[in-house]
Amino acid sequence: MEGSESPVAPMVHVLRRSVGTPTAVATSAGLAFAAIDFLGVVSVATYALGASAWIAILIGGLFVLLVSGIFSELNGLFPTAAGIRLYIGRAIGPRTSLAVGFTYMSTVVLVIAADAFLIGAAIGHVLHEPSWLSYVWIFVLLGVAAGANLRGIRLAGWLQSIVTYTVLASTSVLSVIAIFHVGGSFKKPFALFGHGGFSAVQAVAFSLFLYAAFEWVTTTAEEARQPRVITKALFIAPALIWGAATLFSLGLSHLVPIGQSHGSAYPQLLLGTATLGTVGELWMFAVTLLTALNTFNGGFLVASRFIYATARDGSLPRSFAKLNLQAVPWLAVVTLAGASALVAAVVFATHQWLLLVAVGATIEAAIYAVGSWCVLALRRKDLRERPFRLIAAKPLATFGLVLFAFLALASGFSDPKDAHKLSLLPVAVIAVIALLSTSYVMFVMPKLQAQAAARAAASRPKRRPTRPNTAAPEVLAPNDE
Amino acid sequence: MADWAELQEALADYTVSCNSNERLRKMQRDWTRLLHFVCSDNGIVFTMDVDHGEIVRTCEGHEGVPDIVVTTESETFCDMFWGDLNPVQKYLRGEIKVKGTQEDVMRLDAISYVIWPDA
Repeated sequence: MEGSESPVAPMVHVLRRSVGTPTAVATSAGLAFAAIDFLGVVSVATYALGASAWIAILIGGLFVLLVSGIFSELNGLFPTAAGIRLYIGRAIGPRTSLAVGFTYMSTVVLVIAADAFLIGAAIGHVLHEPSWLSYVWIFVLLGVAAGANLRGIRLAGWLQSIVTYTVLASTSVLSVIAIFHVGGSFKKPFALFGHGGFSAVQAVAFSLFLYAAFEWVTTTAEEARQPRVITKALFIAPALIWGAATLFSLGLSHLVPIGQSHGSAYPQLLLGTATLGTVGELWMFAVTLLTALNTFNGGFLVASRFIYATARDGSLPRSFAKLNLQAVPWLAVVTLAGASALVAAVVFATHQWLLLVAVGATIEAAIYAVGSWCVLALRRKDLRERPFRLIAAKPLATFGLVLFAFLALASGFSDPKDAHKLSLLPVAVIAVIALLSTSYVMFVMPKLQAQAAARAAASRPKRRPTRPNTAAPEVLAPNDE
Repeated sequence: MADWAELQEALADYTVSCNSNERLRKMQRDWTRLLHFVCSDNGIVFTMDVDHGEIVRTCEGHEGVPDIVVTTESETFCDMFWGDLNPVQKYLRGEIKVKGTQEDVMRLDAISYVIWPDA
Protein backbone atom coordinates (compact mmCIF):
# COMPACT_ATOMS: atom_id res chain seq x y z
CA MET A 1 0.00 0.00 0.00
CA GLU A 2 1.04 3.54 -0.35
CA GLY A 3 1.82 3.82 3.29
CA SER A 4 3.99 0.70 3.27
CA GLU A 5 6.11 1.75 0.33
CA SER A 6 9.82 1.71 0.80
CA PRO A 7 11.77 4.92 0.80
CA VAL A 8 13.05 4.32 -2.74
CA ALA A 9 13.02 7.67 -4.50
CA PRO A 10 9.88 8.06 -6.57
CA MET A 11 10.46 8.32 -10.31
CA VAL A 12 8.88 10.92 -12.49
CA HIS A 13 6.89 9.45 -15.35
CA VAL A 14 5.24 11.17 -18.23
CA LEU A 15 2.48 9.17 -19.86
CA ARG A 16 1.64 9.50 -23.51
CA ARG A 17 -2.09 9.27 -22.91
CA SER A 18 -3.44 10.99 -19.88
CA VAL A 19 -6.43 12.92 -18.70
CA GLY A 20 -6.07 16.67 -18.55
CA THR A 21 -8.31 19.12 -16.75
CA PRO A 22 -10.81 19.71 -19.63
CA THR A 23 -11.36 15.96 -20.09
CA ALA A 24 -11.62 15.31 -16.36
CA VAL A 25 -14.14 18.13 -16.02
CA ALA A 26 -16.11 16.74 -18.98
CA THR A 27 -16.05 13.26 -17.49
CA SER A 28 -17.28 14.53 -14.14
CA ALA A 29 -19.95 16.86 -15.52
CA GLY A 30 -20.93 14.39 -18.25
CA LEU A 31 -21.62 11.56 -15.82
CA ALA A 32 -23.71 13.86 -13.64
CA PHE A 33 -25.64 15.81 -16.25
CA ALA A 34 -27.99 13.16 -17.64
CA ALA A 35 -31.50 13.49 -19.03
CA ILE A 36 -32.82 12.76 -15.56
CA ASP A 37 -31.31 16.04 -14.39
CA PHE A 38 -34.07 17.90 -16.21
CA LEU A 39 -36.54 15.98 -14.07
CA GLY A 40 -34.37 16.69 -11.06
CA VAL A 41 -34.80 20.42 -11.66
CA VAL A 42 -38.58 19.92 -11.83
CA SER A 43 -38.45 17.98 -8.54
CA VAL A 44 -36.61 20.87 -6.90
CA ALA A 45 -39.12 23.31 -8.36
CA THR A 46 -41.96 21.23 -6.92
CA TYR A 47 -40.71 21.77 -3.37
CA ALA A 48 -39.56 25.36 -3.88
CA LEU A 49 -42.39 27.84 -4.34
CA GLY A 50 -42.63 29.83 -7.56
CA ALA A 51 -39.35 30.49 -9.34
CA SER A 52 -37.21 30.00 -6.23
CA ALA A 53 -35.70 26.66 -7.26
CA TRP A 54 -32.50 28.47 -8.23
CA ILE A 55 -31.86 29.23 -4.54
CA ALA A 56 -32.10 25.54 -3.63
CA ILE A 57 -29.78 24.68 -6.55
CA LEU A 58 -27.32 27.33 -5.34
CA ILE A 59 -27.39 26.06 -1.75
CA GLY A 60 -27.04 22.49 -3.01
CA GLY A 61 -24.07 23.63 -5.09
CA LEU A 62 -22.38 25.19 -2.06
CA PHE A 63 -22.85 21.95 -0.14
CA VAL A 64 -21.42 20.06 -3.11
CA LEU A 65 -18.28 22.19 -2.83
CA LEU A 66 -17.84 20.64 0.60
CA VAL A 67 -18.28 17.23 -1.05
CA SER A 68 -15.60 18.23 -3.58
CA GLY A 69 -13.22 18.95 -0.71
CA ILE A 70 -14.04 15.68 1.03
CA PHE A 71 -13.55 13.53 -2.08
CA SER A 72 -10.42 15.48 -3.06
CA GLU A 73 -8.83 14.52 0.24
CA LEU A 74 -9.95 10.88 0.00
CA ASN A 75 -8.92 10.60 -3.64
CA GLY A 76 -5.53 12.06 -2.81
CA LEU A 77 -5.02 9.33 -0.23
CA PHE A 78 -6.22 6.51 -2.51
CA PRO A 79 -5.81 7.63 -6.12
CA THR A 80 -7.05 4.39 -7.71
CA ALA A 81 -10.19 3.19 -9.44
CA ALA A 82 -10.85 1.09 -6.35
CA GLY A 83 -10.58 4.14 -4.12
CA ILE A 84 -14.07 3.90 -2.64
CA ARG A 85 -13.44 0.35 -1.47
CA LEU A 86 -10.09 1.34 -0.06
CA TYR A 87 -11.05 4.35 1.99
CA ILE A 88 -14.32 2.94 3.28
CA GLY A 89 -12.52 -0.33 3.99
CA ARG A 90 -9.79 1.46 5.92
CA ALA A 91 -12.15 3.78 7.77
CA ILE A 92 -15.04 1.43 8.56
CA GLY A 93 -14.26 -2.12 7.47
CA PRO A 94 -13.72 -4.22 4.33
CA ARG A 95 -17.07 -5.99 4.39
CA THR A 96 -18.91 -2.73 4.91
CA SER A 97 -17.00 -1.19 2.03
CA LEU A 98 -18.19 -3.95 -0.29
CA ALA A 99 -21.83 -3.71 0.87
CA VAL A 100 -21.73 0.07 0.46
CA GLY A 101 -19.98 -0.34 -2.89
CA PHE A 102 -22.73 -2.63 -4.22
CA THR A 103 -25.46 -0.27 -3.02
CA TYR A 104 -23.63 2.70 -4.48
CA MET A 105 -23.17 0.99 -7.84
CA SER A 106 -26.86 0.15 -7.98
CA THR A 107 -27.43 3.85 -8.62
CA VAL A 108 -25.75 3.30 -11.99
CA VAL A 109 -28.47 0.84 -12.97
CA LEU A 110 -31.17 3.12 -11.59
CA VAL A 111 -29.87 6.14 -13.47
CA ILE A 112 -29.40 4.19 -16.71
CA ALA A 113 -32.90 2.72 -16.39
CA ALA A 114 -34.48 6.07 -15.65
CA ASP A 115 -32.59 7.73 -18.48
CA ALA A 116 -33.49 4.95 -20.89
CA PHE A 117 -37.13 5.43 -20.04
CA LEU A 118 -36.97 9.20 -20.28
CA ILE A 119 -35.15 9.21 -23.62
CA GLY A 120 -37.56 6.59 -24.96
CA ALA A 121 -40.47 8.73 -23.82
CA ALA A 122 -38.94 11.83 -25.43
CA ILE A 123 -38.49 9.96 -28.71
CA GLY A 124 -42.09 8.75 -28.54
CA HIS A 125 -43.29 12.30 -27.89
CA VAL A 126 -41.32 13.95 -30.68
CA LEU A 127 -41.92 11.25 -33.28
CA HIS A 128 -45.56 10.86 -32.21
CA GLU A 129 -45.26 7.14 -31.72
CA PRO A 130 -47.47 4.96 -29.55
CA SER A 131 -46.23 4.26 -26.05
CA TRP A 132 -45.32 0.65 -26.76
CA LEU A 133 -42.87 1.84 -29.39
CA SER A 134 -41.18 3.98 -26.75
CA TYR A 135 -40.74 0.80 -24.80
CA VAL A 136 -39.05 -0.77 -27.82
CA TRP A 137 -36.79 2.27 -28.08
CA ILE A 138 -35.61 1.61 -24.55
CA PHE A 139 -34.34 -1.82 -25.55
CA VAL A 140 -32.88 -0.53 -28.79
CA LEU A 141 -30.92 2.21 -27.03
CA LEU A 142 -29.72 -0.08 -24.30
CA GLY A 143 -28.82 -2.68 -26.90
CA VAL A 144 -26.82 -0.16 -28.91
CA ALA A 145 -24.91 0.96 -25.82
CA ALA A 146 -24.31 -2.61 -24.68
CA GLY A 147 -23.26 -3.63 -28.20
CA ALA A 148 -20.80 -0.73 -28.40
CA ASN A 149 -19.36 -1.73 -25.04
CA LEU A 150 -19.08 -5.39 -26.03
CA ARG A 151 -17.11 -4.45 -29.12
CA GLY A 152 -14.66 -2.60 -26.98
CA ILE A 153 -15.74 0.69 -28.50
CA ARG A 154 -15.87 3.51 -26.05
CA LEU A 155 -16.06 7.20 -26.33
CA ALA A 156 -12.65 8.74 -26.48
CA GLY A 157 -11.84 11.62 -24.19
CA TRP A 158 -12.30 14.24 -26.87
CA LEU A 159 -15.71 12.89 -27.86
CA GLN A 160 -16.75 12.81 -24.22
CA SER A 161 -15.64 16.42 -23.95
CA ILE A 162 -17.46 17.50 -27.11
CA VAL A 163 -20.70 15.79 -26.10
CA THR A 164 -20.66 17.07 -22.53
CA TYR A 165 -19.78 20.65 -23.36
CA THR A 166 -22.33 20.64 -26.20
CA VAL A 167 -25.07 19.42 -23.86
CA LEU A 168 -24.22 21.97 -21.16
CA ALA A 169 -23.81 24.86 -23.62
CA SER A 170 -26.96 24.02 -25.61
CA THR A 171 -29.06 23.72 -22.47
CA SER A 172 -27.71 27.01 -21.15
CA VAL A 173 -28.22 28.92 -24.41
CA LEU A 174 -31.80 27.74 -24.88
CA SER A 175 -32.53 28.50 -21.23
CA VAL A 176 -31.19 32.05 -21.60
CA ILE A 177 -33.44 32.53 -24.64
CA ALA A 178 -36.33 31.23 -22.54
CA ILE A 179 -35.52 33.65 -19.71
CA PHE A 180 -35.70 36.61 -22.10
CA HIS A 181 -38.72 35.27 -23.97
CA VAL A 182 -41.67 37.62 -24.06
CA GLY A 183 -44.82 36.43 -22.34
CA GLY A 184 -43.41 34.56 -19.38
CA SER A 185 -43.26 35.61 -15.78
CA PHE A 186 -41.16 34.98 -12.69
CA LYS A 187 -43.43 34.36 -9.75
CA LYS A 188 -41.96 34.59 -6.25
CA PRO A 189 -38.31 34.06 -7.21
CA PHE A 190 -37.16 34.31 -3.56
CA ALA A 191 -39.90 32.27 -1.85
CA LEU A 192 -37.86 29.14 -1.12
CA PHE A 193 -39.71 28.67 2.15
CA GLY A 194 -43.10 29.30 0.56
CA HIS A 195 -44.18 25.69 1.00
CA GLY A 196 -42.75 25.55 4.53
CA GLY A 197 -39.35 24.86 6.06
CA PHE A 198 -39.31 21.13 5.47
CA SER A 199 -40.20 21.59 1.79
CA ALA A 200 -37.24 23.93 1.46
CA VAL A 201 -35.00 21.28 2.99
CA GLN A 202 -36.42 18.72 0.57
CA ALA A 203 -35.77 21.10 -2.34
CA VAL A 204 -32.12 21.39 -1.30
CA ALA A 205 -31.90 17.61 -0.86
CA PHE A 206 -33.22 17.05 -4.37
CA SER A 207 -30.90 19.68 -5.78
CA LEU A 208 -28.02 17.44 -4.69
CA PHE A 209 -29.27 14.89 -7.19
CA LEU A 210 -28.46 17.35 -10.00
CA TYR A 211 -24.79 16.97 -9.12
CA ALA A 212 -25.05 13.26 -8.36
CA ALA A 213 -22.24 11.09 -9.73
CA PHE A 214 -19.88 14.01 -10.38
CA GLU A 215 -17.52 12.42 -7.86
CA TRP A 216 -17.22 9.26 -9.98
CA VAL A 217 -14.44 11.05 -11.84
CA THR A 218 -12.19 9.94 -8.97
CA THR A 219 -12.12 6.47 -10.57
CA THR A 220 -10.01 7.97 -13.37
CA ALA A 221 -7.37 9.12 -10.90
CA GLU A 222 -4.76 6.81 -12.41
CA GLU A 223 -5.28 8.32 -15.83
CA ALA A 224 -4.83 11.88 -14.68
CA ARG A 225 -1.79 13.77 -15.81
CA GLN A 226 -1.33 15.07 -12.29
CA PRO A 227 -3.25 14.41 -9.05
CA ARG A 228 -4.53 17.97 -8.96
CA VAL A 229 -6.38 17.41 -12.25
CA ILE A 230 -9.00 15.38 -10.40
CA THR A 231 -9.21 17.96 -7.64
CA LYS A 232 -9.75 20.70 -10.21
CA ALA A 233 -12.45 18.64 -11.93
CA LEU A 234 -14.19 18.05 -8.61
CA PHE A 235 -14.51 21.80 -8.14
CA ILE A 236 -15.08 22.99 -11.73
CA ALA A 237 -17.65 20.39 -12.85
CA PRO A 238 -20.21 21.24 -10.13
CA ALA A 239 -19.88 24.90 -11.10
CA LEU A 240 -20.73 24.06 -14.73
CA ILE A 241 -23.64 21.87 -13.66
CA TRP A 242 -24.82 24.60 -11.32
CA GLY A 243 -24.79 27.12 -14.17
CA ALA A 244 -26.71 24.94 -16.62
CA ALA A 245 -29.22 23.71 -14.02
CA THR A 246 -29.84 27.22 -12.67
CA LEU A 247 -30.46 28.65 -16.13
CA PHE A 248 -32.71 25.72 -16.98
CA SER A 249 -34.73 26.14 -13.78
CA LEU A 250 -35.14 29.88 -14.41
CA GLY A 251 -36.13 29.33 -18.03
CA LEU A 252 -38.56 26.61 -17.04
CA SER A 253 -40.19 28.62 -14.26
CA HIS A 254 -40.44 31.59 -16.64
CA LEU A 255 -42.27 29.86 -19.45
CA VAL A 256 -43.65 26.50 -18.28
CA PRO A 257 -46.12 26.30 -15.38
CA ILE A 258 -45.01 23.83 -12.70
CA GLY A 259 -48.32 22.01 -13.05
CA GLN A 260 -47.39 21.25 -16.64
CA SER A 261 -43.77 20.23 -16.11
CA HIS A 262 -44.31 18.23 -12.92
CA GLY A 263 -45.14 14.68 -13.85
CA SER A 264 -43.84 15.11 -17.39
CA ALA A 265 -41.08 12.77 -18.55
CA TYR A 266 -39.63 15.43 -20.85
CA PRO A 267 -39.74 18.92 -19.27
CA GLN A 268 -36.78 19.93 -21.44
CA LEU A 269 -38.92 19.37 -24.56
CA LEU A 270 -41.70 21.47 -23.03
CA LEU A 271 -39.23 24.29 -22.44
CA GLY A 272 -37.87 23.93 -25.96
CA THR A 273 -41.37 24.14 -27.43
CA ALA A 274 -42.38 27.06 -25.24
CA THR A 275 -39.22 28.93 -26.23
CA LEU A 276 -38.74 28.32 -29.94
CA GLY A 277 -41.64 26.11 -30.98
CA THR A 278 -40.74 23.05 -33.07
CA VAL A 279 -37.14 24.22 -33.49
CA GLY A 280 -36.74 24.45 -29.73
CA GLU A 281 -38.33 21.05 -29.25
CA LEU A 282 -35.94 19.46 -31.76
CA TRP A 283 -33.06 21.35 -30.16
CA MET A 284 -33.74 19.87 -26.75
CA PHE A 285 -34.55 16.51 -28.31
CA ALA A 286 -31.04 16.43 -29.79
CA VAL A 287 -29.62 17.40 -26.39
CA THR A 288 -31.59 14.57 -24.78
CA LEU A 289 -30.20 12.05 -27.26
CA LEU A 290 -26.66 13.29 -26.62
CA THR A 291 -27.02 12.71 -22.89
CA ALA A 292 -27.55 9.03 -23.66
CA LEU A 293 -24.01 8.84 -25.03
CA ASN A 294 -22.57 9.80 -21.67
CA THR A 295 -24.95 7.95 -19.45
CA PHE A 296 -25.34 4.54 -21.09
CA ASN A 297 -21.86 4.08 -22.47
CA GLY A 298 -20.12 5.55 -19.45
CA GLY A 299 -22.39 3.75 -17.00
CA PHE A 300 -21.89 0.31 -18.54
CA LEU A 301 -18.16 0.92 -18.83
CA VAL A 302 -17.62 1.97 -15.22
CA ALA A 303 -20.01 -0.50 -13.61
CA SER A 304 -18.94 -3.52 -15.68
CA ARG A 305 -15.31 -2.97 -14.70
CA PHE A 306 -16.29 -2.77 -11.05
CA ILE A 307 -18.18 -6.04 -11.42
CA TYR A 308 -15.26 -7.62 -13.27
CA ALA A 309 -12.75 -6.58 -10.61
CA THR A 310 -15.05 -7.80 -7.83
CA ALA A 311 -15.48 -11.15 -9.58
CA ARG A 312 -11.73 -11.47 -10.12
CA ASP A 313 -11.33 -10.72 -6.45
CA GLY A 314 -13.51 -13.74 -5.68
CA SER A 315 -16.35 -11.63 -4.29
CA LEU A 316 -18.78 -12.27 -7.16
CA PRO A 317 -19.30 -15.43 -9.26
CA ARG A 318 -16.31 -15.93 -11.54
CA SER A 319 -18.47 -16.01 -14.64
CA PHE A 320 -18.74 -12.22 -14.33
CA ALA A 321 -15.01 -12.07 -15.06
CA LYS A 322 -15.37 -13.83 -18.41
CA LEU A 323 -13.88 -11.84 -21.24
CA ASN A 324 -14.66 -11.75 -24.90
CA LEU A 325 -12.05 -11.31 -27.61
CA GLN A 326 -12.20 -7.55 -27.18
CA ALA A 327 -11.17 -8.02 -23.53
CA VAL A 328 -14.59 -6.88 -22.37
CA PRO A 329 -16.34 -8.58 -19.43
CA TRP A 330 -19.28 -9.47 -21.60
CA LEU A 331 -21.43 -11.11 -18.94
CA ALA A 332 -21.12 -8.06 -16.71
CA VAL A 333 -22.13 -5.75 -19.57
CA VAL A 334 -25.04 -7.97 -20.63
CA THR A 335 -26.23 -8.30 -17.03
CA LEU A 336 -26.10 -4.56 -16.54
CA ALA A 337 -28.01 -3.98 -19.76
CA GLY A 338 -30.58 -6.61 -18.77
CA ALA A 339 -30.97 -5.20 -15.27
CA SER A 340 -31.30 -1.68 -16.67
CA ALA A 341 -33.89 -2.84 -19.21
CA LEU A 342 -35.81 -4.65 -16.47
CA VAL A 343 -35.84 -1.67 -14.14
CA ALA A 344 -36.72 0.59 -17.08
CA ALA A 345 -39.63 -1.74 -17.89
CA VAL A 346 -40.83 -1.50 -14.31
CA VAL A 347 -40.54 2.28 -14.50
CA PHE A 348 -42.36 2.26 -17.81
CA ALA A 349 -45.17 0.19 -16.36
CA THR A 350 -45.50 2.15 -13.14
CA HIS A 351 -44.39 5.62 -14.29
CA GLN A 352 -42.45 5.89 -11.03
CA TRP A 353 -39.45 7.72 -12.45
CA LEU A 354 -39.74 10.38 -9.77
CA LEU A 355 -39.15 7.62 -7.26
CA LEU A 356 -35.77 6.97 -8.88
CA VAL A 357 -34.90 10.63 -8.44
CA ALA A 358 -35.69 10.31 -4.73
CA VAL A 359 -33.73 7.05 -4.42
CA GLY A 360 -30.74 8.48 -6.29
CA ALA A 361 -30.71 11.68 -4.21
CA THR A 362 -30.90 9.68 -0.99
CA ILE A 363 -28.06 7.30 -1.90
CA GLU A 364 -25.87 10.16 -3.07
CA ALA A 365 -26.47 12.16 0.12
CA ALA A 366 -25.76 9.02 2.16
CA ILE A 367 -22.49 8.43 0.29
CA TYR A 368 -21.49 12.03 0.97
CA ALA A 369 -22.18 11.42 4.66
CA VAL A 370 -20.07 8.24 4.52
CA GLY A 371 -17.29 10.22 2.79
CA SER A 372 -17.41 12.81 5.59
CA TRP A 373 -17.10 10.04 8.16
CA CYS A 374 -14.15 8.56 6.26
CA VAL A 375 -12.32 11.90 6.32
CA LEU A 376 -12.79 12.11 10.09
CA ALA A 377 -11.80 8.48 10.70
CA LEU A 378 -8.78 8.54 8.40
CA ARG A 379 -7.45 11.73 9.95
CA ARG A 380 -7.04 9.58 13.07
CA LYS A 381 -6.04 6.26 11.49
CA ASP A 382 -3.96 7.31 8.49
CA LEU A 383 -1.40 9.99 9.20
CA ARG A 384 0.14 10.08 5.73
CA GLU A 385 0.69 13.38 4.00
CA ARG A 386 -2.28 14.30 1.83
CA PRO A 387 -1.94 15.96 -1.60
CA PHE A 388 -5.16 17.82 -0.76
CA ARG A 389 -6.23 18.62 2.76
CA LEU A 390 -9.74 19.77 3.56
CA ILE A 391 -9.49 23.03 5.45
CA ALA A 392 -10.88 22.83 8.98
CA ALA A 393 -11.53 19.16 8.38
CA LYS A 394 -12.91 18.30 11.79
CA PRO A 395 -15.71 20.90 11.94
CA LEU A 396 -16.43 20.80 8.19
CA ALA A 397 -16.50 17.00 7.90
CA THR A 398 -18.62 16.78 11.05
CA PHE A 399 -20.95 19.36 9.56
CA GLY A 400 -20.99 17.36 6.30
CA LEU A 401 -21.75 14.15 8.15
CA VAL A 402 -24.72 15.66 9.97
CA LEU A 403 -25.93 17.67 6.99
CA PHE A 404 -25.81 14.91 4.40
CA ALA A 405 -27.25 12.34 6.78
CA PHE A 406 -30.13 14.74 7.41
CA LEU A 407 -30.58 15.44 3.68
CA ALA A 408 -30.50 11.70 2.98
CA LEU A 409 -33.31 11.24 5.48
CA ALA A 410 -35.21 14.22 4.05
CA SER A 411 -35.14 12.89 0.49
CA GLY A 412 -35.51 9.29 1.64
CA PHE A 413 -38.82 10.04 3.33
CA SER A 414 -40.17 12.39 0.67
CA ASP A 415 -43.18 11.52 -1.41
CA PRO A 416 -41.88 11.91 -4.97
CA LYS A 417 -45.35 12.77 -6.24
CA ASP A 418 -46.63 15.09 -3.57
CA ALA A 419 -44.43 17.74 -1.99
CA HIS A 420 -46.67 17.99 1.05
CA LYS A 421 -46.64 14.33 1.99
CA LEU A 422 -44.12 11.95 3.46
CA SER A 423 -43.48 8.54 2.02
CA LEU A 424 -41.53 5.48 3.06
CA LEU A 425 -41.14 4.32 -0.52
CA PRO A 426 -37.68 5.79 -1.40
CA VAL A 427 -36.08 4.65 1.84
CA ALA A 428 -37.79 1.27 1.50
CA VAL A 429 -36.30 0.76 -1.96
CA ILE A 430 -32.85 1.66 -0.64
CA ALA A 431 -33.31 -0.59 2.39
CA VAL A 432 -34.09 -3.51 0.09
CA ILE A 433 -30.98 -2.80 -2.04
CA ALA A 434 -28.79 -2.40 1.05
CA LEU A 435 -30.25 -5.52 2.66
CA LEU A 436 -29.60 -7.58 -0.47
CA SER A 437 -26.04 -6.21 -0.71
CA THR A 438 -25.31 -6.86 2.95
CA SER A 439 -26.85 -10.35 2.89
CA TYR A 440 -24.77 -11.17 -0.13
CA VAL A 441 -21.57 -9.96 1.53
CA MET A 442 -22.38 -11.74 4.79
CA PHE A 443 -23.67 -15.08 3.56
CA VAL A 444 -22.93 -15.72 -0.12
CA MET A 445 -19.52 -14.13 -0.59
CA PRO A 446 -17.69 -16.21 2.04
CA LYS A 447 -18.86 -19.38 0.30
CA LEU A 448 -17.71 -18.11 -3.08
CA GLN A 449 -14.34 -17.18 -1.64
CA ALA A 450 -13.95 -20.59 -0.02
CA GLN A 451 -14.79 -22.25 -3.34
CA ALA A 452 -12.31 -20.02 -5.15
CA ALA A 453 -9.59 -20.84 -2.64
CA ALA A 454 -10.27 -24.56 -2.92
CA ARG A 455 -10.29 -24.38 -6.69
CA ALA A 456 -7.06 -22.42 -6.79
CA ALA A 457 -5.36 -24.79 -4.38
CA ALA A 458 -6.50 -27.89 -6.25
CA SER A 459 -6.10 -26.74 -9.81
CA ARG A 460 -2.36 -26.36 -10.10
CA PRO A 461 0.73 -26.07 -8.01
CA LYS A 462 2.73 -22.90 -7.78
CA ARG A 463 4.80 -22.31 -10.89
CA ARG A 464 7.46 -20.08 -9.45
CA PRO A 465 10.59 -22.05 -8.59
CA THR A 466 11.50 -22.00 -4.93
CA ARG A 467 14.85 -20.43 -4.24
CA PRO A 468 16.93 -20.59 -1.13
CA ASN A 469 16.63 -17.52 1.08
CA THR A 470 13.58 -16.40 -0.82
CA ALA A 471 10.25 -15.92 0.82
CA ALA A 472 7.62 -18.35 -0.38
CA PRO A 473 5.23 -16.89 -2.93
CA GLU A 474 2.02 -15.61 -1.55
CA VAL A 475 -0.74 -18.18 -1.36
CA LEU A 476 -3.78 -17.41 -3.45
CA ALA A 477 -5.92 -15.98 -0.72
CA PRO A 478 -9.55 -15.60 -1.65
CA ASN A 479 -9.78 -12.29 0.08
CA ASP A 480 -8.16 -10.30 2.75
CA GLU A 481 -11.35 -9.83 4.66
CA MET B 1 12.97 -9.29 -2.20
CA ALA B 2 13.59 -10.57 -5.72
CA ASP B 3 16.65 -9.57 -7.69
CA TRP B 4 16.82 -8.83 -11.41
CA ALA B 5 17.81 -12.42 -12.26
CA GLU B 6 14.61 -13.74 -10.68
CA LEU B 7 12.53 -11.08 -12.34
CA GLN B 8 14.17 -11.86 -15.67
CA GLU B 9 13.33 -15.54 -15.29
CA ALA B 10 9.73 -14.72 -14.42
CA LEU B 11 9.50 -12.31 -17.34
CA ALA B 12 10.89 -14.91 -19.75
CA ASP B 13 8.26 -17.43 -18.66
CA TYR B 14 5.56 -14.79 -18.88
CA THR B 15 6.65 -13.78 -22.36
CA VAL B 16 6.45 -17.39 -23.60
CA SER B 17 3.05 -17.90 -21.96
CA CYS B 18 1.67 -14.69 -23.47
CA ASN B 19 3.08 -15.06 -26.96
CA SER B 20 2.04 -18.70 -27.29
CA ASN B 21 -1.55 -18.10 -26.22
CA GLU B 22 -3.60 -17.73 -29.38
CA ARG B 23 -6.71 -16.46 -27.64
CA LEU B 24 -4.72 -13.78 -25.89
CA ARG B 25 -2.99 -12.74 -29.11
CA LYS B 26 -6.39 -12.36 -30.77
CA MET B 27 -7.74 -10.44 -27.83
CA GLN B 28 -4.78 -8.08 -27.65
CA ARG B 29 -4.14 -7.72 -31.38
CA ASP B 30 -4.95 -4.00 -31.26
CA TRP B 31 -2.93 -3.38 -28.10
CA THR B 32 0.46 -1.76 -28.62
CA ARG B 33 1.93 -0.28 -25.48
CA LEU B 34 5.19 0.53 -23.77
CA LEU B 35 5.12 -0.48 -20.13
CA HIS B 36 7.41 0.64 -17.35
CA PHE B 37 7.68 -1.38 -14.15
CA VAL B 38 9.02 -0.08 -10.85
CA CYS B 39 9.96 -2.30 -7.90
CA SER B 40 9.13 -0.17 -4.90
CA ASP B 41 11.24 -2.21 -2.48
CA ASN B 42 14.61 -2.42 -4.22
CA GLY B 43 14.42 0.21 -6.94
CA ILE B 44 14.78 -2.21 -9.87
CA VAL B 45 13.05 -0.87 -12.96
CA PHE B 46 12.38 -2.56 -16.26
CA THR B 47 10.59 -2.04 -19.54
CA MET B 48 8.25 -4.22 -21.58
CA ASP B 49 7.40 -3.49 -25.19
CA VAL B 50 4.12 -4.93 -26.44
CA ASP B 51 3.42 -4.77 -30.16
CA HIS B 52 -0.06 -5.81 -31.29
CA GLY B 53 -0.41 -8.11 -28.31
CA GLU B 54 3.03 -9.67 -28.69
CA ILE B 55 5.71 -9.04 -26.09
CA VAL B 56 8.60 -8.14 -28.35
CA ARG B 57 11.14 -7.05 -25.74
CA THR B 58 11.81 -6.81 -22.05
CA CYS B 59 14.87 -5.12 -20.61
CA GLU B 60 16.25 -3.73 -17.40
CA GLY B 61 15.94 0.02 -17.01
CA HIS B 62 13.41 2.40 -18.44
CA GLU B 63 13.34 3.16 -22.13
CA GLY B 64 11.09 5.53 -24.02
CA VAL B 65 7.96 7.28 -22.86
CA PRO B 66 5.61 4.76 -21.23
CA ASP B 67 1.91 4.31 -21.78
CA ILE B 68 1.54 2.48 -18.50
CA VAL B 69 3.56 2.49 -15.29
CA VAL B 70 3.13 -0.38 -12.82
CA THR B 71 4.59 -0.09 -9.33
CA THR B 72 4.73 -2.77 -6.66
CA GLU B 73 7.20 -4.91 -4.72
CA SER B 74 9.62 -7.15 -6.60
CA GLU B 75 8.20 -10.32 -5.00
CA THR B 76 4.73 -9.38 -6.18
CA PHE B 77 6.01 -8.89 -9.72
CA CYS B 78 7.65 -12.32 -9.67
CA ASP B 79 4.53 -14.08 -8.37
CA MET B 80 2.41 -12.19 -10.85
CA PHE B 81 4.54 -13.06 -13.87
CA TRP B 82 4.71 -16.70 -12.81
CA GLY B 83 0.91 -16.71 -12.57
CA ASP B 84 0.85 -17.51 -8.88
CA LEU B 85 -0.87 -14.30 -7.91
CA ASN B 86 -4.15 -12.71 -8.87
CA PRO B 87 -3.12 -9.07 -9.32
CA VAL B 88 -6.65 -7.79 -8.76
CA GLN B 89 -6.51 -8.52 -5.05
CA LYS B 90 -3.28 -6.58 -4.66
CA TYR B 91 -4.60 -3.81 -6.89
CA LEU B 92 -7.79 -3.45 -4.86
CA ARG B 93 -5.72 -3.27 -1.68
CA GLY B 94 -3.63 -0.52 -3.26
CA GLU B 95 -0.49 -2.67 -3.19
CA ILE B 96 -0.14 -2.59 -6.96
CA LYS B 97 -0.36 0.87 -8.43
CA VAL B 98 -1.00 1.41 -12.10
CA LYS B 99 -0.76 4.65 -14.00
CA GLY B 100 -2.47 4.40 -17.33
CA THR B 101 -5.92 4.50 -18.80
CA GLN B 102 -8.75 2.50 -17.28
CA GLU B 103 -8.82 0.33 -20.40
CA ASP B 104 -5.11 -0.44 -20.08
CA VAL B 105 -5.48 -1.41 -16.43
CA MET B 106 -8.24 -3.78 -17.47
CA ARG B 107 -6.14 -5.22 -20.30
CA LEU B 108 -3.24 -5.89 -17.96
CA ASP B 109 -5.41 -7.93 -15.67
CA ALA B 110 -7.13 -9.62 -18.61
CA ILE B 111 -3.76 -10.98 -19.73
CA SER B 112 -3.15 -12.82 -16.48
CA TYR B 113 -6.75 -14.02 -16.38
CA VAL B 114 -6.58 -15.48 -19.87
CA ILE B 115 -3.22 -17.15 -19.37
CA TRP B 116 -3.98 -18.46 -15.89
CA PRO B 117 -7.77 -18.60 -15.52
CA ASP B 118 -7.50 -20.27 -12.15
CA ALA B 119 -5.23 -17.60 -10.67
